[in-house]
Amino acid sequence: MTQPLLRAVRVARRYGDVVALAPTDVELHAGETVALVGPNGAGKSTLLAILAGAIEPSEGAVESHARVGWVPQKPAHYSRLSARENLELFAQLEGVPEPGRIAQELLERFALPQEARPSGELSVGNRQRLNVALALLGGPRVLLLDEPTAALDPGQRRRVWEAADALRVEGGAVCFATQNLEEIEHATRTIVLQDGRVASLTVEEVFG
Amino acid sequence: MLRRSPLLLGALVAYPIVIALLVGLVAGYASAKPRVAFVDDDNLPPVIAVGGHRFHIETVIDDVAKQVTLVRLDDAEAARELADGKVVATITVPPGFLGDLQTTAVSPNLILKTGSGGLAPRVTQQVQSLVYQLNLKLQAGYISANLAFVQLLLHGGHGRFLGKSFDVLGLDRTAKELAKMPQTERVKAVENFVRQAKEGLAQTGTALRATANPISLQQAKSHGRTWLLSAQVQSYGIAVTVTFLALLLAAGATAAERDEGTIGRLRRGLVSLGELVWSKVALAAVVGVVLGAAIAIVFGVVADVGGITGGEPWSRLPLLLAGVLLAAGAVGAAGALLGAVAREARTASLLAVLVVLPVVFIGLVPRGSVPLAYWISLFLPFAHAVRLFGAALYDTSPWHRVGIEALWLVGIGAVSWLLARLTARTLTA
Repeated sequence: MTQPLLRAVRVARRYGDVVALAPTDVELHAGETVALVGPNGAGKSTLLAILAGAIEPSEGAVESHARVGWVPQKPAHYSRLSARENLELFAQLEGVPEPGRIAQELLERFALPQEARPSGELSVGNRQRLNVALALLGGPRVLLLDEPTAALDPGQRRRVWEAADALRVEGGAVCFATQNLEEIEHATRTIVLQDGRVASLTVEEVFG
Repeated sequence: MLRRSPLLLGALVAYPIVIALLVGLVAGYASAKPRVAFVDDDNLPPVIAVGGHRFHIETVIDDVAKQVTLVRLDDAEAARELADGKVVATITVPPGFLGDLQTTAVSPNLILKTGSGGLAPRVTQQVQSLVYQLNLKLQAGYISANLAFVQLLLHGGHGRFLGKSFDVLGLDRTAKELAKMPQTERVKAVENFVRQAKEGLAQTGTALRATANPISLQQAKSHGRTWLLSAQVQSYGIAVTVTFLALLLAAGATAAERDEGTIGRLRRGLVSLGELVWSKVALAAVVGVVLGAAIAIVFGVVADVGGITGGEPWSRLPLLLAGVLLAAGAVGAAGALLGAVAREARTASLLAVLVVLPVVFIGLVPRGSVPLAYWISLFLPFAHAVRLFGAALYDTSPWHRVGIEALWLVGIGAVSWLLARLTARTLTA
């Protein structure tokens, strides 16, 4: 079997006595799209944040063999900077050559405002698209998306899934969290989480 | 909600009490009597006779005690208490003081040492006033003694000077003796001199009194350095502003990383937590320097335009700004710690305001009045910033003081940075 692009071995996260995620194993292989499905508080966002390296697991470890892009559930960018400034800043931090050109490409690709308006003043949809665009900086092979289409209209959703599918087709891997059962059709594999654990249930059984 | 948060309830009750106590301490110091050590290395007797006047030491001490609390200590004890801030100054009577005073061959010195606290200028003024009052009393005694010598020269008799006894013929008796002599031209010339000398010496009393007080003091409006522009006010002004700004800015900026969700992005190998805290410290330091420079320039321009004596020490501006950079950085590190603890920008800003007030007030409590407040202020950046700025601007040789305070600020900043670095891990949770 080929080496996974991303592997989590018994990763867990606890906040005091509260178990947000029980020890969990996950592998992401090239060419697959994995859906994380579960009700609120199931541990989907925690698992994605751990896979992305945004939070440290209380135990276990993550092995990454590819560049990882992360779309957090809540848009994460500096609200006083414009969309372009955010893209350029994070491109520089990612070590992307020609950050100005890359920022311009992503602005056009996601139809983001070109003007110097602070991103905090953008619409919810625009901020979410900026959130996705930021995850694509540096050309990741693994894309982790936490309910990426929650605030988007149908056209914008299509654009996000096109980007995700393109990455998978090019040999990357995608893992997304969702509560929208219609989006599971984009997945090649589904993991069901419940109460911070991987559950041996079907999606229908979870949402009953 | 408060019932469920006993810690918050306790803080809300305790906070105004602490602030009220600190305000009371700072305000009360204006009417408080500072404690000053009196070191008698000359073993002064209970009563001193100088210039025909008798001074009771205890009476002199009682006079001084109206303005300060004077406590008799030995050399070592006084030095230790001054270093510990238990006394705000020491007045030392050095060996040989009384001998010099009685012979009038040289002016004896009283030695005054003050601490670096806010009471030092006040004590210096009070001791200067005491020495002025003593000089006035001695002056009257010396004039009487000098006039006695004049009377001796005029009328003759028995006298003592520098411990030696002698008999003086006197001008009156000299004139009588000359009259008995053959009236040659040389004798007549001496008689003429004696007559002129008697007339001249007869005016001595008035002349001596006029000489003792040649100028009377009239207070007129002048362009002296006003209290508003004093070194202390300028130092406090810059320190208070920079402390407020740096603490709020760093606390708000650190907590905002979590509010905006950017901490998660940055933590993915882009920026370490140490670098993140450094960036907040650098932000506070740079903004602090800009603001500190603006305040110093405004003070300086006002001093120069107003023709204030002394003016602004412009050449010290780089040293001052280096100090501001350090102080703002140390405060910024503490602000980053608060931001990491608070985890929300609004809470962090509120917490910073709540914290900055007691930090500033504790730094304002004079060293001699409440030693505990002084010891606490040692571990906070504000008091060190004030002393550093004051020394950088106005000390003749600032390097020793600047060096000590800079080390304190570096230490406080390093500890705050380390704690902020450790606490910042919770921002990603």
